[in-house]
Amino acid sequence: MKHVVIGAHLEEGDIEPLAGAIPVADLWLSGMPIDDAQPLGDRELLLRIAQTRAALLDRATFIAIRYGFTAHGQSDAAAKCAAHIERWGRLLREYRGMVEMTLKVAAASPRARPDRHDFESGAAYIRALHAATRAAEVVPEFRSAVDATLAPLAVRHRWSTRDTASLEFAALVRRESVAALNDAGSALKRDFASVPFLLSGPWPLEVFADDHE
Amino acid sequence: MTDSEEELGLLETLDHLLDRGVVIAGEAVVSIGDVDLLYLGLNIVLANVDAIIRTSQPKQIK
Repeated sequence: MKHVVIGAHLEEGDIEPLAGAIPVADLWLSGMPIDDAQPLGDRELLLRIAQTRAALLDRATFIAIRYGFTAHGQSDAAAKCAAHIERWGRLLREYRGMVEMTLKVAAASPRARPDRHDFESGAAYIRALHAATRAAEVVPEFRSAVDATLAPLAVRHRWSTRDTASLEFAALVRRESVAALNDAGSALKRDFASVPFLLSGPWPLEVFADDHE
Repeated sequence: MTDSEEELGLLETLDHLLDRGVVIAGEAVVSIGDVDLLYLGLNIVLANVDAIIRTSQPKQIK
C-alpha cells in the first residue's frame, strides 16, 4: 500500500476524512491510498484525485504536490519531504486563506515550434523550444487591461509563458476576492471578445509555492 | 454548462494536476499498465517544455 500524495497542509483537520493524512514534522500530507501495483496513469485514479484535490481546497489552502509523487508511510514521506518542510510551513502560514487563479491567453502571434531534426542534441532542441516559448506575446491592450483590473485584486501576480502559443497570468488572491476577480474576468470577456482566454480557479498553491520561482 | 465547457474544465483541472505544484525530485513516475510512461529521474512528471526548464538544469535533461 502506498499513498499518492496530493498536497501539504497545516492541519490534520484540513484533510480528514476526505483523504489520508500523513504527519510530516509539524505539517500534514494528504494522500490517496492505493495498491502498490496500481498504475498511476489510470484515468479513474487521476479523476478521483482531481476531485479530492478540489474538495480539499474547499476546506483550506494547501500546497499542491505535482501528480506522481508517492510515499510508503510516514517515515518514507518524512525522508522524501525533509528538504521542503520548513519552507512549506512558512508559505502555508503566510498564505493561509489565499488561493490561486490563472488566466491563460492565446499568444497574439504564436511562434513556430522548432523542428527536432534541426538540432544535433536534445538539450539544444529543448533550449530552442524554450526560446520560442518565451517569445510568445499577448495583445498589449489585453495585457494592460489584465494588469489594470485583475492584478490589483491579487496579493501577488505573475505573467509567465506556458508554450509557444499562450501566456499565463497567475494571481494569488484572498478567498474573498475570488468573486471580484471572476467579475473582472467577465468584464474582460465583454471588452475583448476577440481575444481567446480562460480564467480558472480557485487552485491550491501551485505557481506561488514553486521552489523554482 | 455545455459539453465543450465541461471538457475544457476537465482539461484545465488535469493540466493543473499534472503540470503544477511542487515537485519532489526523483519521485515522478507515471505508468500505464506495467509500462512506465515517463520517468526522467529528475523533477518531471508529465510536463511541458517550459515546466522542464523551470524545474531542472539543461545539462540534466537526457
